[in-house]
Amino acid sequence: MAHSTQGIATHESKTVTRVFITIALGYLLLFLGLPLFAVFYQALSKGWDLYYAALLEPDAWSAIKLTFIAAAIAVPCNLVFGIAAAWSIAKFDFKGKSMLITLIDLPFAVSPVVSGLVYVLLFGAQGWFGPWLQEHDLKLIFAVPGIVLATIFVTFPFIARELIPLMQAQGKDEEEAAVSLGASGWQTFSRVTLPNIKWGLLYGVILCNARAMGEFGAVSVVSGHIRGMTNTMPLHVEILYNEYNFVAAFTIASLLALLALVTLLVKSVVEWQAIRSGAAIRSLI
Amino acid sequence: MALSSPAHSRFRAHSVLPGFNLALGYTLLYLSLIVLIPLSALFVKTATLGLDGFFELAVNDRVVSSLRVTFVCSLVAAVINAIFGLLVAWVLVRYRFPGKRIVDALVDLPFALPTAVAGITLATLYAPHGWIGQYFAAMGIKVAYTPLGIVVALTFIGLPFVVRTVQPVLEDVEVGVEEAAACLGATRFEVFRRVIFPAIYPALLTGFSLAFARAIGEYGSVIFIAGNMPYISEISPLLIVAKLEQYDYAGATAIAVIMLLISFALLLTINALQWWASKRGVR
Amino acid sequence: MSIIIENISKHFGNFKALDNINLEVGSGELLALLGPSGCGKTSLLRIIGGLELPDTGKLLFHGEDVKSRDACNRNVGFVFQHYALFRHMSVFENVAFGLRVKPKHIRYKEAEIKRRVHELLELVQLDWLADRFPAQLSGGQRQRIALARALAVEPKILLLDEPFGALDAQVRKELRRWLRRLHDELHITSIFVTHDQEEALEVSDRVVVMNKGRIEQVGTPDEVYAQPATPFVYQFIGNVNLFHSRDHAPWTQQLDDAIAYVRPHDIDISVSAQDETSLPVVVNLVRAIGAIVRVEVEIDGSHELIEIELSRERFDAAPLACGDRVYIRPRQFRVFQKEETDELPAT
Repeated sequence: MAHSTQGIATHESKTVTRVFITIALGYLLLFLGLPLFAVFYQALSKGWDLYYAALLEPDAWSAIKLTFIAAAIAVPCNLVFGIAAAWSIAKFDFKGKSMLITLIDLPFAVSPVVSGLVYVLLFGAQGWFGPWLQEHDLKLIFAVPGIVLATIFVTFPFIARELIPLMQAQGKDEEEAAVSLGASGWQTFSRVTLPNIKWGLLYGVILCNARAMGEFGAVSVVSGHIRGMTNTMPLHVEILYNEYNFVAAFTIASLLALLALVTLLVKSVVEWQAIRSGAAIRSLI
Repeated sequence: MALSSPAHSRFRAHSVLPGFNLALGYTLLYLSLIVLIPLSALFVKTATLGLDGFFELAVNDRVVSSLRVTFVCSLVAAVINAIFGLLVAWVLVRYRFPGKRIVDALVDLPFALPTAVAGITLATLYAPHGWIGQYFAAMGIKVAYTPLGIVVALTFIGLPFVVRTVQPVLEDVEVGVEEAAACLGATRFEVFRRVIFPAIYPALLTGFSLAFARAIGEYGSVIFIAGNMPYISEISPLLIVAKLEQYDYAGATAIAVIMLLISFALLLTINALQWWASKRGVR
Repeated sequence: MSIIIENISKHFGNFKALDNINLEVGSGELLALLGPSGCGKTSLLRIIGGLELPDTGKLLFHGEDVKSRDACNRNVGFVFQHYALFRHMSVFENVAFGLRVKPKHIRYKEAEIKRRVHELLELVQLDWLADRFPAQLSGGQRQRIALARALAVEPKILLLDEPFGALDAQVRKELRRWLRRLHDELHITSIFVTHDQEEALEVSDRVVVMNKGRIEQVGTPDEVYAQPATPFVYQFIGNVNLFHSRDHAPWTQQLDDAIAYVRPHDIDISVSAQDETSLPVVVNLVRAIGAIVRVEVEIDGSHELIEIELSRERFDAAPLACGDRVYIRPRQFRVFQKEETDELPAT
């Protein structure tokens, strides 16, 4: 960090420093601290009894379940993809690599609403596969599979994005050493690559999971908002809020905010680990 | 991936590491199934509308004003974030104060907090009787349920981008360079303007573009606070949803394609910016 | 195990990394691949190790073509430039890795693995570091662990990529001698890549000097130093003076479109002209550096500088000072045609 080695010549005056810190912290407090506090305050404004009641309400419960199901499918799918993409991109040289990286980022550039829309166009009643699906009595849109698909789409790049730069930075020396010592492909991956990327992998999974559970726009388009059936937690928050049931809305919201806080905590821990092992990498070279 | 050997060797450099074909094959298959084919459905659908049909759907007052609202609000939010994000990054890199690590971690909150939660919370805070809204109301300013509310929501969700792109670059600016400039007689402000700012400028621009791109597509946090009045505070993503609810797939698609093209253009801009930054040797 | 390399070429895109390489390495030999960066020496090493595939050519180990054999089936130990130690494993586990990944039916029992690893760690004199992690070791220690790890699989051939490149001067010197001793003990056919001439000359049995993907000369350290085969070798190994025109080299008649190469220590200085082939010069600079004295002289009537090295005794017998007018004549020189000298590195 720069400040530890800074001399007098590169310091602002005390007043300027204080003003800067005050403005920056004030800005963060206004936009981050206050909203975060407000979520929990609103959720508990009518006491713990109402909080528990809102949590245990059957529709809320089914929304929680559906959210976990969607995340439990989407995250592993994107995990496998992320590892495969990172392995091919970071450990090999081939043509069109940067193009591939851009394409993997694509879902980040697409509005969540548009992400949902494309699946409606494909699988909705008037969509390409709509008639075929109806014939076979399959329902994707306004049903759980559509929600899962939309969730996979919006969380698609998360794990790959974490792993690609990490594995590129680590190079392929260790893997080549393992192969030259007689290790098989799987042995190389599981004993050498995986232990080296485990923190980044965990971070990617946590981030992917947070977005999967919190996704609103894309899921909203494909869900159909059927209470107790196709409502995820964020959608349930919306319904409750629009019904002016603020305590219940903020109760569910507080769960999601808690999830966000856990995500941030894990992120900090992982970054701390990365700095530690990063220092180790630098000293190795 | 049944590539013949000579073509194969031209396509990629030899490596002793196994699993390339399997890994890349799976990557391409999954990418195509989840992202590329669904997205292309959008363009195919548009093509069936024909050019006239497309313009009829795309160029009407409601669509145009929704795009204007989306753009103007996103731009204002991104500018706010560029200014304050730079300040936050500066404070986090250069100064020490108690609780810094927690503040640093908290900057990512908008990435982690579901947008719907942000939406209802901001709407509650900035409503005329809300904790913050009441002060604005006293001044006769209405924040929630106006375009101003949209700016607030978009500022929230775009907050981490500028901070997180500028922060590492700022950490890399060598103190030695600054000291050299100071020794040569530059004032602190001149050092910033002539030495530090040129170094972080590409990162700032990248962060700004990222925040802007994110804001344009944003839906969840906006709809609660926007009031959603057609022509005034209705954003394009909401208009898509509205059309879908009326089963107007063609209309929804037309708007989606416009937004998608804008997003791609921004993505290209961001990539070009990063390329430019790396070429300038800014680490 | 002997190695035969026949007509091996390798391109990376449009870049010709190796251009028709032919080389034989005897069993038990310690060979140095020496050259500037980008000369193809590392590519050649990686091809021998099976980490790269050549575009064309043959590679024979003990008379058997191994081109189609995977890196893991070549029985080759590879020591990487930055060691490539597994950073999440202890030193012990690093060395044990090659033994642990063997297929079950030929894998040693745990006790045997332990015994072997400790034997190897003793060999590299680092048994006491078994429980440390790579990040906790010094550069020289990492280097020796990397070597122990490569030796664990009992390779018939040992390949080392810039084995001392990342170390500081003192440690380098120690490790060089140590590697030489180790090789004399184990007698494994070994090839190492280096860009440091001193390293190559001091450690190896034979030196292969490479430039621009081609072999310039193969020979013992003494041969490549004393009888450089090409202008490149002359310039790359040791210092050399170039005489471009006949006026400046009256001692040879062959300087039409040619250049004479003379080592600084192959030049005699005399106060008076020995005969008509002596070249009159003015002493420009005298610098004593340890056991040698470096004298810089300027050829009369031109600004060309010639560097001469004298032993201390020789200098003391006939001391020189700046401005002295003296005569020089080479004891030994070599003339190369101008077109041969086209592709010279800047030294």
